[in-house]
This record gives sequence, structure tokens and C-alpha cells, in this order.
Amino acid sequence: MFAHRLISATRHLWRSLAECSRKVQDLRERLRTVEDIREARGISLLREWLSPEQSAQFDASKCFDVVGCDSGRRYRIRHGTGTNVHEIDDGGRPVMGWCFVPSGHFTAGDVMLAQKIALETNERAALAVANRFPVQLPRRTYSDAPPGRAY
Amino acid sequence: MATQIVMDQTGDTRHCFNPDDTEALSKAEERFKSLTSVGFTAAVRDAAGKATVTRSFNPTAEETLFFPRLVGG
Repeated sequence: MFAHRLISATRHLWRSLAECSRKVQDLRERLRTVEDIREARGISLLREWLSPEQSAQFDASKCFDVVGCDSGRRYRIRHGTGTNVHEIDDGGRPVMGWCFVPSGHFTAGDVMLAQKIALETNERAALAVANRFPVQLPRRTYSDAPPGRAY
Repeated sequence: MATQIVMDQTGDTRHCFNPDDTEALSKAEERFKSLTSVGFTAAVRDAAGKATVTRSFNPTAEETLFFPRLVGG
């Protein structure tokens, strides 16, 4: 009698656990869908505001270049929500990182759009709030290195 | 129809209004003032697609984008 009840209770417990697990899985999938929609909306809005050249560059490499309105310096904005703005030299090599974002929790598309508009319309103010960070240049290989230097 | 696009946690919220409707225009101006007063930047695009930041409400702007204050990351 006792054993029968124990088996029944165990079965009930497993069924409840399975049900909970399924509900958590459903919730996760729904949240992922909401996040995907937010991301897609952000990218769609960004595309509406990119110039044709920037749009083509973004399609090709998930980044685009902007020219600062005050200094004329070039910046490359990469897909991301932070530490994604690099000042670049004439050869397109990164020379300095600038980190500034709209306050709040935003998708990559929204962050990149705010960064683009800020650099193109009020570069000084954007850089005034930004934190600078060094950028890692790609490591040179032995074959690139000039003779006589150790790398 | 003119549009005010406000960046928010959902991605963005779009407010469409008829600029010929005085009441709708007044509401849009109120929205402009309340957003910019709390630190949002308002940007408009010209026909060529060039963005400019605007500090006062432009009733003829086709599309105005508002994004929150920038902070160092």
C-alpha cells in the first residue's frame, strides 16, 4: 500500500517537473523572439538613416565609416553595443577606440545609429563624454616584419 | 504624414501625425519639448539623407528621430 502511494507520488512529481521545464522552455523561446524582433527593428531603423555608401559597407562587413563633423577625422562603427567605435587613419587602420552609448538598454542598431548621428552632427560633444581605449592592431607576421626587427 | 521616432527599450516607438491638423501638430510639439527637456537629442534628415540635430520643433520635418543622452561606455 505504502509502496504504491510512493510510486504514485514520484510519478506525479516527475510529471510536474516535466511540465515546469516545458513552461520555462516556452518562456525562453518567447523572450528570444521578442529580443530578435527588437534587434531587427533596430537594424531596420539604422538602415533607414545610413547613406547609400554606409549601407553598402554595412551589408558587406557589418560596419560603416563616418566622418566627424568638427575634425574631419574618420571613425568606423562596428556592429555592437559598446567599445565599437574606432577612429581610423587614412589607411583604414584603427588608431584609437571611443566608447559612448545612449543611456539605457538599447539594441545594436539603435546604439550604432545614435553614435553615427552624434559623430556626424556634434562630434566634440560625443567625444567629450566618451571613454578612450587603446585598440589592438592586428599582429604582424614574420613575413611582414622589416628585416632586423624582432617581433 | 510626419513621423516622430523615439528610441526606447522596445526598439523604437513611432508617432505619426498630420502636420495640417493643428491639434496633432500641437501634440507633436509638446512631445518634442518633453523629450528634449529630459536630454533626448532630436535629429532630422534632409532630402539627401543628411542628418542634422535640431534644437527647436520644426513643423515641416517629415521625420524626426529622438535618442537619449549619450554617456561614456
